[in-house]
Amino acid sequence: MSAPTAQVAAPPAVPPPAAARRRPYRALEPTRRGKVLRGLLLAAGSLLTIFPFYAMVVIALRPETAIDFPSSLLPWNLDTSAFREVLAGQDMLRWTLNSVIYSVVSVVAVLVMASMAGYAFAKKRFPGREAMFWSFLAMVMVPYHVTLIPTFIVMAKLGGVDTYWGLILPSLANAQAVFLMRQFIKGLPDELFEAAKIDGAGEWRTFATIVLPLCKPVLATLGTFVFLWHWNDFLWPLIIGKSADMWTLTVGIASLRQQQVPLSVVLAGSVVALVPIFAAYAVAQRSFQEGVAQTGIKG
Amino acid sequence: MTSALREPAAAPTRRGGPGRAGGRSVMARWDARTGLLFALPTFLLFLAFRFGPAIAGVGLSFFDYDISGSLEWEGLANFERMVGDPVFWQALRVTVLYTLLAVPLSLGLSLVMALAVRRRFRGVGFFRSVFFLPVITSLVLAGTVFVWVFSTDGPVSTVSQWLGGSGQSWLSSSLLVVPALVLVGVWSRFGYGMLILLAGLQEVPRELEEAALTDGAGPVARFRYIVLPHLRPSLFFLAVIETTASFQVFDLIFVMTQGGPARGSYTLVYMLYDQGFKYVDYGYAAAIGVALFAMTLVVAVVQRRFLGRES
Repeated sequence: MSAPTAQVAAPPAVPPPAAARRRPYRALEPTRRGKVLRGLLLAAGSLLTIFPFYAMVVIALRPETAIDFPSSLLPWNLDTSAFREVLAGQDMLRWTLNSVIYSVVSVVAVLVMASMAGYAFAKKRFPGREAMFWSFLAMVMVPYHVTLIPTFIVMAKLGGVDTYWGLILPSLANAQAVFLMRQFIKGLPDELFEAAKIDGAGEWRTFATIVLPLCKPVLATLGTFVFLWHWNDFLWPLIIGKSADMWTLTVGIASLRQQQVPLSVVLAGSVVALVPIFAAYAVAQRSFQEGVAQTGIKG
Repeated sequence: MTSALREPAAAPTRRGGPGRAGGRSVMARWDARTGLLFALPTFLLFLAFRFGPAIAGVGLSFFDYDISGSLEWEGLANFERMVGDPVFWQALRVTVLYTLLAVPLSLGLSLVMALAVRRRFRGVGFFRSVFFLPVITSLVLAGTVFVWVFSTDGPVSTVSQWLGGSGQSWLSSSLLVVPALVLVGVWSRFGYGMLILLAGLQEVPRELEEAALTDGAGPVARFRYIVLPHLRPSLFFLAVIETTASFQVFDLIFVMTQGGPARGSYTLVYMLYDQGFKYVDYGYAAAIGVALFAMTLVVAVVQRRFLGRES
């Protein structure tokens, strides 16, 4: 630690060496005033961040229809009728099921395909490799919405409107996932794969018994990210799902909001839809945070 | 090209006989086969649902097309119509205004919060996690509560009344609706930026900061001359991501305002959705998509020039 310091701090006109070496360690910590300021900032920030969630839950538990600030946000006189109402409807169950199908199938499919493609791009030479990879890269700059109309037309022609495969299939083309897997697998030593080959393992076995187990951490990260993305996805499920039976939770709850459903019932639905994500977040915070930071895309 | 690479006889003769080289070429052939096989599923999906549609989307903007299948070449007619369409200019104005307000605000807040939770202290993990909660929350779900937050009975107008304001609903004011949406957008995104910048802050060498401190540099000078230069790549990345996301804002508007009042929050993607799926005018919707694409490219180039000099 002292060597680079000496290298950079060229002007020597500062305190005696012994003191200088000791002090810097703690000196970057904020001053007392800095700490108070930071505390105030963080307290205000977290209050504003949490407030909508708090309001969501309390209003969902309110029996009356007029919701005034601040009296309605006091945590008494609560009842669970809105939750019972929203859960009693058949729709909510169906939407939850659809969201689970959409998210879980996509996670499994994307993880399998992206790790296969990532392995190929990282460790194999094959004809067309560069062209394929560059076409992935080039598409990052093209807004999703440019592809929206043609994708919908193709799906309509193929009879994919209002079906699960129509909902799921287009979202599986995930270039980001391939980049992430390629990047990770590139870092794995070649000797491992060569050793497996010398031991007589076929490509599938090498992939299943060596590549996949080594990728566990990155797969967990990517998996949470893909799950989050699909669970929160809105525009595509909105377009492809014509009947209420095929809506996901986001589309269903948005439709509740358009109808004259009481606010507390809509919010009860929102709270229910948020529970799985928040529960997963409580369990795997690290994985969530890394997933978003690494893949560079928000849900 | 493919057949030439796979020609079995060619490799050994060119490399001078069998043995090691021959063995390697068999291996290379296996590599080529499995490589292709492993990459193909993703690539085909990509071709069918991203690359193909992107080209079709640009192509479609020169046609008039409806679902019955009638496809008519229109040349630049869709774009000419766009230029003369006041609704398009309104959507463009709202989109640009939203972006100009949301991106600096979101970036600034992300930076301040990243600096605040940069060093370890008791409870730092709590704050990082809390600020990240809105990022994993769907705006479709949170949007409903924000409709109440900005309504006449909600906290925003009540507090503004306490302070002597008019206490009107922000979402039904054509002047305040975009700022209201910006606040919600910033709420939902700053935690993401915070995380990206936090990762960038790890790259700042501690020794440099310590050295500057011993030289008597205050916190502002240390930030300006040591931290900021190291953050440049992260800031650039974030600026591009945030701008692109702001151009494409949709969920929030669909749930909170439906583009109203009087198209006061009518954005380009909302217009694309309207034209494509309400008026079923695919060609015109595709042309709006192309306009969006062009804007994204221009911004990326401009930002690269001014922000990304060193990256």
